[in-house]
Amino acid sequence: MSDTTSSSSRIGRVGGLLMLALAIAYGIGGSQIEYAFASDPLGPRVVPVLLAITLAVLCLFYLKSPGTTESFPQGRLLVKIIAVPLLLLASALLLEPAGFAASIFLLTFGVGWIFGAPLRLALIGGVGQAALWWFVFSYLLDVYLPAGRLFG
Amino acid sequence: MNLDYLWNGFTVALTLQNLLIGLAGCFIGTLVGALPAIGPINGIALLIPIAYTMGLPAESTMILLAAVYCGAEYGGRISSILLNVPGDAGAVMTALDGNPMARQGRAGEALMLSGLSSFVGGVFGAVGLALFAPLLAGLAIGFGPAEYFVLMVFAFATLGSMVGSQPVKTLIGCTLGLMLATVGLDATSGAYRFTFNEPELGDGIEFVVLVIGLFSVSEALLILEHQASGVTVIRELGRMTARLDDIRKSIGATLRGSVIGFIVGVLPGTGASVSSAVSYTTEKRISDSEGTFGKGDVRGLTAPEAANNATACGAFVPMLTLGVPGSGTTAVMLGALMLYNIQPGPMLITERPEVVGGLVASLFIGNVLLLLLNLPLVNIFARVLTVPNWLLVPGILVLSVVGVYSTHASIFSILLMLGIGIIGWLLRKAGFDMAPIILGFVLGHVMEVNLRNALAISGGDISILFQSKISIILWILAGAMAVMPLVAGWRRTKVVKTATS
Repeated sequence: MSDTTSSSSRIGRVGGLLMLALAIAYGIGGSQIEYAFASDPLGPRVVPVLLAITLAVLCLFYLKSPGTTESFPQGRLLVKIIAVPLLLLASALLLEPAGFAASIFLLTFGVGWIFGAPLRLALIGGVGQAALWWFVFSYLLDVYLPAGRLFG
Repeated sequence: MNLDYLWNGFTVALTLQNLLIGLAGCFIGTLVGALPAIGPINGIALLIPIAYTMGLPAESTMILLAAVYCGAEYGGRISSILLNVPGDAGAVMTALDGNPMARQGRAGEALMLSGLSSFVGGVFGAVGLALFAPLLAGLAIGFGPAEYFVLMVFAFATLGSMVGSQPVKTLIGCTLGLMLATVGLDATSGAYRFTFNEPELGDGIEFVVLVIGLFSVSEALLILEHQASGVTVIRELGRMTARLDDIRKSIGATLRGSVIGFIVGVLPGTGASVSSAVSYTTEKRISDSEGTFGKGDVRGLTAPEAANNATACGAFVPMLTLGVPGSGTTAVMLGALMLYNIQPGPMLITERPEVVGGLVASLFIGNVLLLLLNLPLVNIFARVLTVPNWLLVPGILVLSVVGVYSTHASIFSILLMLGIGIIGWLLRKAGFDMAPIILGFVLGHVMEVNLRNALAISGGDISILFQSKISIILWILAGAMAVMPLVAGWRRTKVVKTATS
C-alpha cells in the first residue's frame, strides 16, 4: 500500500511527459502547416503554435506536482478493461457487414458478461437489448440502422 | 422591458409535440439524474444525435435537452438521498443531509422537500433567465470580434479558477480542447490542419464523437473499474409528505440557494457542482447555530437542491445571449445548436426568437411537469436505481454507438469515439475533469475566428484587443478570476473542512 502513492504519481508523470511530447509534436506540426494565402494577419499556424507552447508550459507545472492519480488496473481487471474497447471495436466493424442486431447483440452480451453477469443472463440480456434497441430506433424513432449484408 | 419573445415562446412550447417532447425530456432527465452512472452531460450528449437524426426542429431539440438538464437536477437528489451516492455532480451536497434524513426513516420527506426546493430554484432561475436574457442581449450588441475574444478569455479564466481543485489540470483540459478544435479545414486560409490526409477529419472532429467518447465511453471503463462491492439502498421511504414545519424552516434556505444558484449559473463555465457547494457552505455558515448540518437538517438539504436547479436555468443566460456556455452541460448544448447551424450570440433573440422564447417558456412548463413527476412518481424512479450495471452499461454503449453512427453513418466516427474514450478514461484516472475539454473545443473555433477577424480589422495591430471599454472591463475581470485560484485554493480547504466538519 505504501508503494501506491509513489507509483501513482509516477503514472501521472508518465502521462505528463506524454502530453509534453504531444505539445511538442503538435507545435512542430502546427508550424509547418502548408497554406497558400491567408486573408488575416495571423494565418493558420500561429494559434496552434501558441497552444503548443501553452500546453508545454502547463505540462511543466503539472509534472512538478501531478497530484494523486488512480492506480492503473492490474491482472484480471486490466484484461476486462482492454476487452471492452475491443468489443466496441468488433461491434463497430461488424455493424455494416453483419447488421445492427447482430453487432449490438455481440456488444451487449460481451460487455454484460464482462461486467459480471452469469453467462446465461448475459445472453438473455444481449438478445433482449438487441431487440429492444432495434425496436426503439428503427421502429419508434425512425433512425437509419444498417441491416447488414448477410441479412439485408 | 420587451418580453414578446417569451409570450411567443409559450405558443411554441405549448404545442402538443413540444409538450410531449418536454415531458419525455423531463422523464429521461430525472432518470439520467437519478442513475449514478450517468449525468445530464451524458444524457444530453446521447440525445443530441438522436434528436437531430429524427428530424426534430431546433427549438424542439433545445426544449428536449433543457428538460433533460432540469430533470437531471431533480433526479440527482434521489440517489443522493437513498444511496448516499450523488446522481450527478450537482447533487453531491444533497447527500450530506439527505442521506442522514433517509437513515432516520425520513426518506420520503426528504424527497418531497428537495423536490419542492428544486421547483422553487428552477422557477426562480427561469424567471431570472426570462428577464435577464433580453437585457444582456441588448448590451451584447456592442460586442465586436475583439470583445468576443476577450469574453472567451474571461470564460476560460473563470473556469480555471472555479472548477476542480487543481487549476492546472483544468487549464490543461481547456488547452487540449482548444487544440482539438484546430483540427480540420481552416476557413480563412484553406489549409488542412492536423487531418493526416484523413478525409473524414476534413470538417474537424465531430462534436458528438468527442462528447460521447469523453463522457460515455470513459464512464463505462470507470464503472468497470470501480464496481462497488455493495451500496445500501434505503427501501423504507416512510411518509411521503413533508411536514409543514420543515417546509416553513426551509423557505429561507431555498430562497438563498436559488439566488446563489442563479448567479453561479450565469457566470460562464461554472455549473451546478460549484453552486450547490457554495450554497451549502453559505447556508451552513448562516443557519447552523446548533451543529445540525450533516445530520439531517432540512436546510442543508433544500439549499443545494434549490441552487442546482437555479443554476441549470441561469446557465442558459450567457449561452443564449453571448454564445458562451454557463456550465459544462450548456457547453454541450451549444454544440447542439452548432449542429443546426445556429450561431448563438446577441442576435439569436432577434433572429431565432422561437428558439430562445420556446426554450425559456419550456423551462417554466418543465419545472411544473417535473414537480408533478417527482412528487408522486418518485417511487418509480427509486426503483430504477436497482438496474444492474451489466444491463445499464451495455445500454449506454449501444446509445453511444448509435448516436455517433447516426450523424454520418460512419464507422470511422465510432473508432474515433473509441480512441477518444480511452484517452478520456486515462485522463479521468489522472484526475482531469472532462468539462474543460468540451468547453475548450466548443469555444476554440469561435475564439480563433474572432481573434483573427479582430486582427484582420486592425491590420495586425494587437491593441484592438484592449481598446473598447467592454474589452478592458473583461480583461480586468479575467485577471481577477485568474488570481482567484490562489485565494480559492485556501478557501477550498476551508470549504471542505466546513462542509464535512
